[in-house]
Amino acid sequence: MSRQTILGLGAGIIVLLLFPVFLPRFYVYLVSIILLYGLLATSLNLVLGYGGIFQFHHAVFYGVGAYGTTLMLTKTGLPPMLAFIVGPLASAAFGLVIGIICIRLSKLYFGMLQISLGSLVWAIVYRWYSFTGGDDGIHGIPIPEMLSSPKSAYYYTLIITLASLFVMWKIIRSPFGSALQGIRDNPVRSEMIGINVRMHQLLALVLAGFFAGVAGSLFVVVDNTVFPDMLFWTLSLEILIMCLLGGWFTFLGPMLGAAVIVALRTFVSAYTDYWALVLGIIMMLVILFLPNGILGYVEEKFKRGFMEPEIEGQ
Amino acid sequence: MEAVYSIIPAGVLSQVFVGLSRTTILFIVASGLTLILGVLRIPNVAHGSLYMIGAFTAFTVTKLSGGGSAGFWIALVIAPLIVALISLIAERGMFQFLYEREHLMLLLLTFAFSLVFGDLVKLVWGGEYKSVPVPHIFQGFVPLFGGLPFPLYNLFLLLAGPVVAILLYLLTNKTKMGKIARAAAVDREMVGAVGINVSRVFATVFVIGCYLAGLGGVLVAPTVSVTLGMDHNLIIEAFLIVIMGGLGNIWGALLGALIFGLTQSLGILIWPKFGIIFPYLAVVVVLLFRPTGLLKSTW
Amino acid sequence: MLEVTSLSKTFDGFKAVNDANLAVGKGEIVAVIGPNGAGKTTLFNLITGIIKPDSGRVLFKNEDITGLPPHEVCRKRISRSFQIVNVFQRLTVFENVQISVLSREKMTWNLFTPSASLAIKETDEILESVGLLKKKNRTTALLSHGDRKVLEIAMALGGNPEFLILDEPTAGMAAEETSRCIDLIKKLSQTMGLTILFCEHDMEIVFGIANRIMVMVRGGTVIQGSCEEVRCNEAVQDAYLGGSDVCLM
Repeated sequence: MSRQTILGLGAGIIVLLLFPVFLPRFYVYLVSIILLYGLLATSLNLVLGYGGIFQFHHAVFYGVGAYGTTLMLTKTGLPPMLAFIVGPLASAAFGLVIGIICIRLSKLYFGMLQISLGSLVWAIVYRWYSFTGGDDGIHGIPIPEMLSSPKSAYYYTLIITLASLFVMWKIIRSPFGSALQGIRDNPVRSEMIGINVRMHQLLALVLAGFFAGVAGSLFVVVDNTVFPDMLFWTLSLEILIMCLLGGWFTFLGPMLGAAVIVALRTFVSAYTDYWALVLGIIMMLVILFLPNGILGYVEEKFKRGFMEPEIEGQ
Repeated sequence: MEAVYSIIPAGVLSQVFVGLSRTTILFIVASGLTLILGVLRIPNVAHGSLYMIGAFTAFTVTKLSGGGSAGFWIALVIAPLIVALISLIAERGMFQFLYEREHLMLLLLTFAFSLVFGDLVKLVWGGEYKSVPVPHIFQGFVPLFGGLPFPLYNLFLLLAGPVVAILLYLLTNKTKMGKIARAAAVDREMVGAVGINVSRVFATVFVIGCYLAGLGGVLVAPTVSVTLGMDHNLIIEAFLIVIMGGLGNIWGALLGALIFGLTQSLGILIWPKFGIIFPYLAVVVVLLFRPTGLLKSTW
Repeated sequence: MLEVTSLSKTFDGFKAVNDANLAVGKGEIVAVIGPNGAGKTTLFNLITGIIKPDSGRVLFKNEDITGLPPHEVCRKRISRSFQIVNVFQRLTVFENVQISVLSREKMTWNLFTPSASLAIKETDEILESVGLLKKKNRTTALLSHGDRKVLEIAMALGGNPEFLILDEPTAGMAAEETSRCIDLIKKLSQTMGLTILFCEHDMEIVFGIANRIMVMVRGGTVIQGSCEEVRCNEAVQDAYLGGSDVCLM
């Protein structure tokens, strides 16, 4: 990493740390939501952009994490902090189950079966009133005191998000991450150099499920509610758009995409009921004109600046 | 156990028939989806929205023509055509430029369309429930197997399914267009290379597929409340059906719809609250043994 | 070293490989030749586990490896390159070879050590030996076709193979690139002692570097023997001169 990047990241983190000091309460909440959606989108990108896996229904892992955390908090007498570990672990375990069922299938079959199985989970959550609260969801979840104020919830979200991003960044840079990117580019070749493609993909799915679950548990802290729409398939496609908009071959792209979309949604929704229409049009424009996303575009321009002469001088 | 046996036969039969008439709708919609998947390789999420538009258009057409029986028949002709026209505009205006993109991009593009369509429906028709009356001649019930009342309209649906299946068979197997489309599904470049206008073939297939979504929407309208969000569950069910049957295979869609409709209706009988689980279990079992669906997939 | 007996594979009624037999001794360079569609690539896919055979056996060092998945075949120290360039497009030349080395060292389950600090020396050595060291930081998508074919071989070498399978190593290369590639193959055989199995359309290359030749027609083995034997065999002359695209002499 260059010095500029480190300085930039440091400055960014300091600004994020200072937000609650000068921003009104609503914006603190908004930034918390952006952070956890960014984490969610980044976890999706771990398998999508870096793994090349058609993870069409990622929201279900987010939902399982949130519900897992909530049910631990409301239905058991176990120490509350444990819930924030159990939720993500439940997501990871669920990622393993879905992975084992779907991993043998080819790309599009994988995605379509996953979206279908995820919808089953949604349907169960939606109907199981006695356990999940059905379509009402669960409100007023008792949060441990130290996390219950908006400010402390913000700081908790910030710290956990940054820590998770750091871990995912390490994973992408690790030999496992290299292998995963190799598999994305060429699964047959990867097999032929001795990589067990399916097992690597399975681990990636479990990891992505885990971090999606972390994002889900953060939502519980920030909003104190869960509801079935958190694992509805349309949310999954929205997260996919975040990755695409920010740039799905870049590490920070999904975070940027999440920021743009969550912020836009908040402000557009204040003026009109037709947010979906706006989002749909934005998506079409991105697909048509920015297929590599915002950061992908920037990187391309940036690279072109000093890559081209080298090629010509070949 | 004896008590169960004495109740089940009548209940099972009636559930089977309800399941079968549901199968008809699912088959019609899923066959359109699988046609587009097979030939154009687009996982069309907007398919459900077109089905919804078909149902809403049927509502308007029926209402405009006085709410009588004739209205439904006019709607049955006009509404799918309107849906087909919308899809033609979408295809010529956007999809045709993007066929070479990755499936993921196409999926997201169709999702964008479904978002836009959903909000346009909200804009035009509002958020309230709408209902389409059952046409006059199909009102009432017929006695079935020991006097069990079965809605006449469902019987009509039961007959409509095979008719559509036969027409689709004739279209894909007996017409030149159908043969070209099937060839293009296997090898797009080759068909292009022998001088056939692939773009026009694709547009036709896309429009026919979407027409079927609209048709399904019209047919379902008298049996459900027509409302926003009716597309959301349907598209997932249609996805399940096409992966179960084999992507791109129309007979697979029929088989998948049968399995789906029957497991669902019988599942509800076995476990009323969570009967919905059974069709999903069926899909998992099928894919466990046949990872590319029951019948030959074009993928 | 490698012994293939009556290997067969049918696709939808088409016999792609039909009773193929092949023996490769340690340190040999064996070429598989045959007209287009004779099943050469399918044979390689069957040996390396990408496709499972319907019948027949593949023995490697007297061990039955028939039907093993590719990643396990690779563990037996069999590596291959592909006819159609098969590299990791979005990664750099260095990373392409490095993944191969990391995989061999069973390090791809390591989640937290930066890749950038691992296997650098060995990867550089491999790149040096094939002459790609100068281009190591270039994205693969920006390489010339010839360089990518060489990179294929470099990736195969990352597995530290004893047995190397090359599927048309020089296809599509310019004349100068071709001769460099042939030198490379000779070097791999002579200085590193690799056993090499390859297929190739250019007969000059085949007779130039192969110790022995196996001729395939319509999925089956016609003959396997020394260059001289093959050159004089009537069946081979029929197969080639009777309406095919390659001239033997």
